[in-house]
Amino acid sequence: MSDAKKIVLAEDNSIFLLLLKFRLEKEGYKILTAVDGKEAIDLIEEHSPELILTDIMMPFISGLEVISHVRNKLNMKTPIIVFSSAGQEEIVLKAFDLGATDFMSKPLSPNELVIRVKRLLR
Amino acid sequence: MNTNYFLIDYFNESPSIIQVAWSISVVFFIIIIPLILYLKFLRGHLRKKERVTAELENDYESSLINYLYSGNEEEEISAEQQVIINQLKECIKDPFRRKILIGVLLKLKNEISGEIAESIHKLYFHTGLVNFALSRLKHEKWFVIAKGIRELKQFHVKEAHDEVIVHINHPRREVRKEMQLYMVNLFYFEGLDFLDVLETPLSEWDQIQLLEVLQRMENQNISNIKSWLNSSNDSVIIFALKLAKIYNQFEAKDELINLLHHINKKIRLESIHVLSYLNALEAKEILKNNIEERSPEEQIAFFKMMEDLYEQTDESFVVKYIHHEIFEIKVSTLKILKVLNRERFNLLKFESSEPKFLRIVNFIENN
Repeated sequence: MSDAKKIVLAEDNSIFLLLLKFRLEKEGYKILTAVDGKEAIDLIEEHSPELILTDIMMPFISGLEVISHVRNKLNMKTPIIVFSSAGQEEIVLKAFDLGATDFMSKPLSPNELVIRVKRLLR
Repeated sequence: MNTNYFLIDYFNESPSIIQVAWSISVVFFIIIIPLILYLKFLRGHLRKKERVTAELENDYESSLINYLYSGNEEEEISAEQQVIINQLKECIKDPFRRKILIGVLLKLKNEISGEIAESIHKLYFHTGLVNFALSRLKHEKWFVIAKGIRELKQFHVKEAHDEVIVHINHPRREVRKEMQLYMVNLFYFEGLDFLDVLETPLSEWDQIQLLEVLQRMENQNISNIKSWLNSSNDSVIIFALKLAKIYNQFEAKDELINLLHHINKKIRLESIHVLSYLNALEAKEILKNNIEERSPEEQIAFFKMMEDLYEQTDESFVVKYIHHEIFEIKVSTLKILKVLNRERFNLLKFESSEPKFLRIVNFIENN
């Protein structure tokens, strides 16, 4: 388990967070969960994960700010997948401008997420 | 004892205004004390409810996750899942717990697709939650019915179609709106069949909501709108006109042209806009023949239409209206004339001495 790749998962919907955590842990990843952007940044700074999964709309610090912090302040090249909802297309474009690697539109399939995660962490 | 006598004497000997002030103070004090106690109780009660809700939410979230990940491919429902279903069945007997469980299911259902979304759908049926929602449809209070329909829509319970459509002409707008959204969200364009029997008005807001749902659908193959264009319900016709424009329903051109003679001015006006958008030249000829008899709004809409559909043969017709009293008509006809016959347009500057008219001509010439 100590060799397991670390993923920071930031999502303010508690049950969705729990579901994705279980699904990704089943695949052998170590999941560090955050319920808002502030917690996510703390976890990223502390653990330097191999991948970041973040929702865009979160309390205190948004997903966009998390991306900006990772790319501009921490200068990390860690792949970032953002979760967006319908109608947030412009925000997704902003996320890509800030350095997001990929995005998934909600409602999303956990199986598809696992495929994308595996591809990025190959 | 002496203090009490002193206070009574003080009160009796005080001027009237002081007595009134003391009396009011006492009354307020008597009112405020129970209010403070009540607020304290209410705050305590709400906090307790909040805490219980959070605990139950956590429990149900864990149960749901366990349910979702304890399935296997051999059985539709595994033994472990059946245990969770039985537990939840017990919980939902209490309306408060049922409400929380529904909230938890929706919280996840809205974020997820694929197999897990299907599992949540199955759980909704296996726990019997669907029966509670269906029973709400027969309730005497309108808001209970509306909430029941909304829940069935959120959980995509297509099987409730017949029970939901019964409320098509419900006296309360809110119930009708939920019924309409249920139909469109679950059955897409086929769900619009309720328009065939809708007798009550479809408000502008209802129409916007329906269109918003339809435009989100992947399948954009619209059903036949001709019958709605012939509806006896004017709001259905207005909605069908919007559909005709958005989904380029040129095949309904004959029905749209018939609407140019509809008794309702708003419908006539909208049909001109739609026919103009669809570039229906036949409509232009029909309108040309009786434009004088039409309302100013229709005349303006017609000349706007002419701006896109003019032909060389329209020149003499257009020229008749370049001095029309309505500003918009004047502008439209001058724009058309500028394209059809530039020389004639240029001559207008010399033929007229009216400053307002010349200003319009100059503006159109330069734009």
